Amino acid sequence: MIEISRLTKIYAGRRVVDGLSFSVQKGRVFGFLGQNGAGKTTVIKVVVGISLSDEGCVRIEGLPAGDVAIKEKIGFMPEAPYFYARLTGLEFLRFCGDLFRNRRSKDTASHEELLKEVGIYEARDKRISTYSKGMKQRLGFAQALVNDPDYVFLDEPLDGLDPIGRREIKEIIKRLKTRGKTIFFNSHILYDTEELCDDVGIIHEGKLLYSGPVKEFCAGRPLEAAFINTIEAVSRT
Amino acid sequence: MNSIWVIAKNTFKEAIRDRILYGILGFAVFYLLTDLFFARLALGDVSMVKSFGLAGIYVCGVVVTVFLGASVLYKEIESRTLYFVISKPVTRAEIVLGKFFGLFAAIALTISAMAAIYLGVVGYEAREFDMLGLLAILFELFEMGFFVALLLFFSSFASPLTATIYSSILLFSGHLLELVLENAAQIGGITLRLVSGAYYILPNLEKFNIRGLAAHHTMISWPVGISVFVYAVAYSTLLLYFAIICFKRREL
Repeated sequence: MIEISRLTKIYAGRRVVDGLSFSVQKGRVFGFLGQNGAGKTTVIKVVVGISLSDEGCVRIEGLPAGDVAIKEKIGFMPEAPYFYARLTGLEFLRFCGDLFRNRRSKDTASHEELLKEVGIYEARDKRISTYSKGMKQRLGFAQALVNDPDYVFLDEPLDGLDPIGRREIKEIIKRLKTRGKTIFFNSHILYDTEELCDDVGIIHEGKLLYSGPVKEFCAGRPLEAAFINTIEAVSRT
Repeated sequence: MNSIWVIAKNTFKEAIRDRILYGILGFAVFYLLTDLFFARLALGDVSMVKSFGLAGIYVCGVVVTVFLGASVLYKEIESRTLYFVISKPVTRAEIVLGKFFGLFAAIALTISAMAAIYLGVVGYEAREFDMLGLLAILFELFEMGFFVALLLFFSSFASPLTATIYSSILLFSGHLLELVLENAAQIGGITLRLVSGAYYILPNLEKFNIRGLAAHHTMISWPVGISVFVYAVAYSTLLLYFAIICFKRREL
């Protein structure tokens, strides 16, 4: 279970995340939605231990975010990932896997399997500098799964992918869900989110507007319409 | 420990695949081979051949170190490649140490390649194996280790250009301190006290310079050699410690 309690992050005197509290149950797919600059990436960075919170705390399975023991159990894909361009895809995956303690993460056969799963196996021995944006996105997704994590955090996972790529990644997310993984992802592509999520969190200007089941939030409307109505209602007040 | 090794290996791999590194190395090889030409001009004076070669290895070593070290942390923060690493079970201290060892290994490899050519040139000209020259190169390598730590320290909070300028100033002043102290001793007073303060605070990099001694067949004693090694390790450790502190506080 992921528990976020009164999380606040301040940049240059501005509260970009302001007292956020919500939780994500184990085995659920949670979509964290908001406009550009709402604070989604800041939250995910604190949750995976890249940034420190200024107030409040984040706990995963009762351990504080950033704890090395919990990092063994998480996978993270950053938004528009940049890579070590002079490595090949397989070398990069091996590098990421070697940073974990469990043996499966270090196994070349499982790395190759993962590259097949995300559809870039043929390019495994090519340098990452020759990869297209979509291929990099897939490699970023593969490295997030290299340790067979219990918790997968994805920052805009469908960005930069063509429709077929998006469908493939969505299929992988669905498969991960059937294997009991907890998935937390940021997105502004609401059409895809509605299809994937059990729960959603809505963030606007650093404040949480809603957290709970997606069906309850939509109340019969498409997610996009419900989202826009919520944001507009808040903006008017 | 495993994470440091993995990051070091990756840093090394990235560094030695950089084309610009080969450009610098190519220039260094050309420079060292011109030593054969200077040997003719020096009318068989092997000490000049050695001085020229050892100085060339030092300058190229500094250029390679600046090129590889100045942007290493900064570049990864800016390009966000560090996100992949920090979200794994790795501490920031392990990242700094892994980067240090990886870069140092790449620089050691480059200097070893230049050393092999140097020894070949001197062996051809003097019909001897230049053991003292090899020792001088080893001392240069100690200095490069210190320089990598210095660049990493500045790179943990400053831009590559700023890190290069600060490090170069410290490198330059580190070689001049002994000379400045001698001159200040003649002036005395507050000047001497100020220079003495700087002398004890800033690194004294002339300790690593035994090129002149090596060129003129003057052996250094074991205690001196060991003290220089300890000095390099102690100073580098201190710099890496501060680099880790700065990097831990850095917002990513």
